[in-house]
Amino acid sequence: MTYDLVVIGAGPAGMSAAIKAAKAGAHVAIIDENPVSGGKLLGQLYHEPDSGWWVGRNIAREMIAKASSLGVAIFRKMEIWGIFPKWNIMLNNGERLTTEHVLIATGAAEKAIPVEGWTKPGVMAIGAAQTLTNFHRVKPGKKVVIIGVDPLSLSVAQELKMAGVEVAGIYPPPATEVSSDKSNPKQIIQGLSAMAHLAPNALLKAAGKAANHPTIKNIAAKCYPSFGVKVWGIPLHLRKTITAIEGEKQVEQVRITAIDGNGNQKNGRTKTMGVDCVCISGGLYPLSELAEAAGCDFVYIEELGGHVPLHSPELETTKDGIYVAGNITGIEGAKVAMAQGELAGTAISSRLGLLQKGSDAISEAQVKVQDARANAVITFQQHIESGREKLAQCWHTNVQTSSGKG
Amino acid sequence: MDKRTEICRCEEVKLGEILNAINNGAKTSKALKLATRAGMGICQGRTCQPVLEQIISYYTNQNIQETPGLSTNHPVRPLSLEELAGNRKDL
Ligand SMILES: Cc1cc2nc3c(=O)[nH]c(=O)nc-3n(C[C@H](O)[C@H](O)[C@H](O)COP(=O)(O)OP(=O)(O)OC[C@H]3O[C@@H](n4cnc5c(N)ncnc54)[C@H](O)[C@@H]3O)c2cc1C
Ligand code: FES
Repeated sequence: MTYDLVVIGAGPAGMSAAIKAAKAGAHVAIIDENPVSGGKLLGQLYHEPDSGWWVGRNIAREMIAKASSLGVAIFRKMEIWGIFPKWNIMLNNGERLTTEHVLIATGAAEKAIPVEGWTKPGVMAIGAAQTLTNFHRVKPGKKVVIIGVDPLSLSVAQELKMAGVEVAGIYPPPATEVSSDKSNPKQIIQGLSAMAHLAPNALLKAAGKAANHPTIKNIAAKCYPSFGVKVWGIPLHLRKTITAIEGEKQVEQVRITAIDGNGNQKNGRTKTMGVDCVCISGGLYPLSELAEAAGCDFVYIEELGGHVPLHSPELETTKDGIYVAGNITGIEGAKVAMAQGELAGTAISSRLGLLQKGSDAISEAQVKVQDARANAVITFQQHIESGREKLAQCWHTNVQTSSGKG
Repeated sequence: MDKRTEICRCEEVKLGEILNAINNGAKTSKALKLATRAGMGICQGRTCQPVLEQIISYYTNQNIQETPGLSTNHPVRPLSLEELAGNRKDL
């Protein structure tokens, strides 16, 4: 089959792009590996300070209905395993879709934090716990501890609690070669206080407030109570860490030890606590394997979450006709992903000659992305702005060198 | 981290094996993959690659490379021969 646009990934970014392009009159296909479209939206459930409850799966449902009514071909439960010039999109059921315009909107994956025993049954990534709880409505365990203190883990802690799971504590990961700032209490406090103003849920807000409290901030966690600070009834520990996850066949207990204000273990004395589930939150990174296999140029920008395909202000990569939107361009919230999807959908419609005032429409869509960023209630990367600037500079340099060559 | 901690869970490669490979000259995640199979499992490095990159950067004092180092090739997802055969033979 031939389409004007093939979108890979039916999360908020891909869906918004498909809807935008189909509205303009494009013949669009959207493919996702999951049985239900919506991507990470499906697991999202929280209360926003101004606009009330954000129920991701309802938003996903609305977008699916809209896309279907516009005639978008929706492929579910199919993985894309390759992109070949120019452009053949390969589905794992043997089908091949042909198109001149591809949008890769494959979202993000979770970063692991290896801790002794982290491969035992009962240990899961924080996103898995979120999906189990909010989407499948299954408790991941009866008594859970969380390793990793960040906006996502704090949100999920609250969601678990609402679902009736006992959250026995949230701990920073042990300091290792790979934990960087994530196991440093001072850095964690700084990160938490930076997001107090945009916290989307009560737990995040409370954590942000606690972190902004002068005593906690100034003495940099020196006098942090050994029982943790209770946020919404959930103990948030900044002076303890989990050194091992133990159990014969599955998780039975965790080993806990005290740490100083920099995250160094104090005396080697450990205690154990019985739990049946451990959630690990190591942050998110852009999932860009398809862009890499297609031959797009990349840059590594820590502030955006990792390796991202180099892309223009209109979201086109260095490969003609391949666009990117959503978390593959850097880790941000769902509303930013949607605005980026609309921008990509607009830019592609304009390329297809479907818009009368294409460049005006593109500028408008770019402003909407800026607005979504300015009003974001959740940030995953503390210095996302400077990451975006770095990327824009890399693109600029890239354009200059390639036009110099030409 | 304890040397027995598993880093690549698909291929069950432990930190100790990774460090040996680094000491023997593996300085990129691709070299590590060829030396130890870390990143060669069914998830194709989706779980272990960020960790491998951090470990290399830590032990070799280099910045993480611009391009994801495992050199992703088609197919990016596991594929059975039957599925591949469905895609005709002209690629
Ligand atoms: C665990 C987790 C929790 C999050 N929680 C929140 C939150 O609470 N609030 C918030 O605002 N943001 C949250 N985010 C950020 C979230 O990623 C964005 O909100 C938003 O969902 C990003 O949209 P996207 O369209 O870029 O990607 P996604 O929503 O991730 O959608 C990408 C889709 O592409 C599919 N896909 C990927 N590769 C392939 C392939 N090869 N073949 C077929 N399909 C493929 C994926 O399965 C997925 O369905 C979370 C992210 C994660 C990972
Ligand atoms: S964890 Fe290494 S390949 Fe899957």
